[in-house]
Amino acid sequence: MTAPASTSRSVYVYGVVRASHAVPPGRTGVGERPAPVRTLRAGALAAVISDAPARLRAKRRDLLAHQDLALTLGRDGPVLPMRFGMVAPDEESVRRQLLGTQNDCLAALERVDGRVEMNLKALPTEAGLGPLVREDPEVSRLRTAAHRAPGYEASVRLGEAVARGLKRRAATAAATVLAELSAVADATVHCPEVEGCVLNASFLLDRRGQRRFEGAVERLAATHRDRVELRLTGPLPCYSFTEGRA
Amino acid sequence: MPTGTYTEEVVCVQRTGTLYDCLELILDRGMVIDVFIRVSLVGIEILKIDARIVVASVDTYLRFAEACNRVDLEFDRSSTTVPELLGGVASGGGSPAGRMATGLGKKKTKKAVAGVGEKVKRAVGADDDEEEEEREERESRPRRRTASTRRRAEPSEED
Repeated sequence: MTAPASTSRSVYVYGVVRASHAVPPGRTGVGERPAPVRTLRAGALAAVISDAPARLRAKRRDLLAHQDLALTLGRDGPVLPMRFGMVAPDEESVRRQLLGTQNDCLAALERVDGRVEMNLKALPTEAGLGPLVREDPEVSRLRTAAHRAPGYEASVRLGEAVARGLKRRAATAAATVLAELSAVADATVHCPEVEGCVLNASFLLDRRGQRRFEGAVERLAATHRDRVELRLTGPLPCYSFTEGRA
Repeated sequence: MPTGTYTEEVVCVQRTGTLYDCLELILDRGMVIDVFIRVSLVGIEILKIDARIVVASVDTYLRFAEACNRVDLEFDRSSTTVPELLGGVASGGGSPAGRMATGLGKKKTKKAVAGVGEKVKRAVGADDDEEEEEREERESRPRRRTASTRRRAEPSEED
């Protein structure tokens, strides 16, 4: 550990853990010249922080540093990961904040204890093109039209209908997938919309249930392979479950 | 779908170490404390979700329209019992019989195509399963025996 930073210096906050949480030594954080990571205790909680870099940009390296630290912390106990880029003006304001929200944070920590977040994205798949062309009346009609009078306009119309059709097929399948997976997860939340995806959802799972969940996703991916492409990411820090309420 | 088929192919991409598939979570989820400052996220657009289908782009539409035509061909080929030979002949171009067969194939007239297939076989000599082979074998006649042996193995009414 280096000498404690001056209290007037701004700090980058990675996450909040229980005060008893053993934070692995020797870690460094975000920034071009990453500063050592340290903990800041306040009551029953501790914030995992480092000196804030003078000029922080959301670079790949920094995002990875943030993510890696949250993942590492998660191995030794529950952690509430901060959103990327949270900088407190000084240590004292972090302390005040922790004390002021102690009960909520403890409840949230309890909720994610022993759990991980798995994120699922569902995308339209071109594997559905064949069935779509054969089954969708609109695509059928526009295809015939494009055959009769080929041209840019006709192609764009046909392509638009195909994109809509693939998206619709994917969304329908994704709804089924979501319902089935929600039934086996401790909690489910919708995540920010992502361009090109028909579904973006995160699931809170017991660590021990992770394999079973992955198996379920694989089975669903196989069942709906000509309707939707599934991308499962995780285990992740519980970004989407940092609130105490269930 | 029964289990077992998906083990051979990747049907669900799963990643842990990459940022691309969880970028929006790191940036838009996670705990926020109002009194804290948020660093500028200028330049973040460099990192984008690797979505293979970008909806709402004319390029994509044109590609889909093109793909529709390919689906036509693939569907016609797999759904009709066009003999493999026919595909070879048709792609060989040039011969009127080949063109005729292709045209019929598009109309999905199963029986007619099968019938024409036999005619095509006769028209082109019925001993060349593949265009490439035909070209090579023109020079070396003795190898024709291999071709006719293979032909006999096929159910054929012409002989």
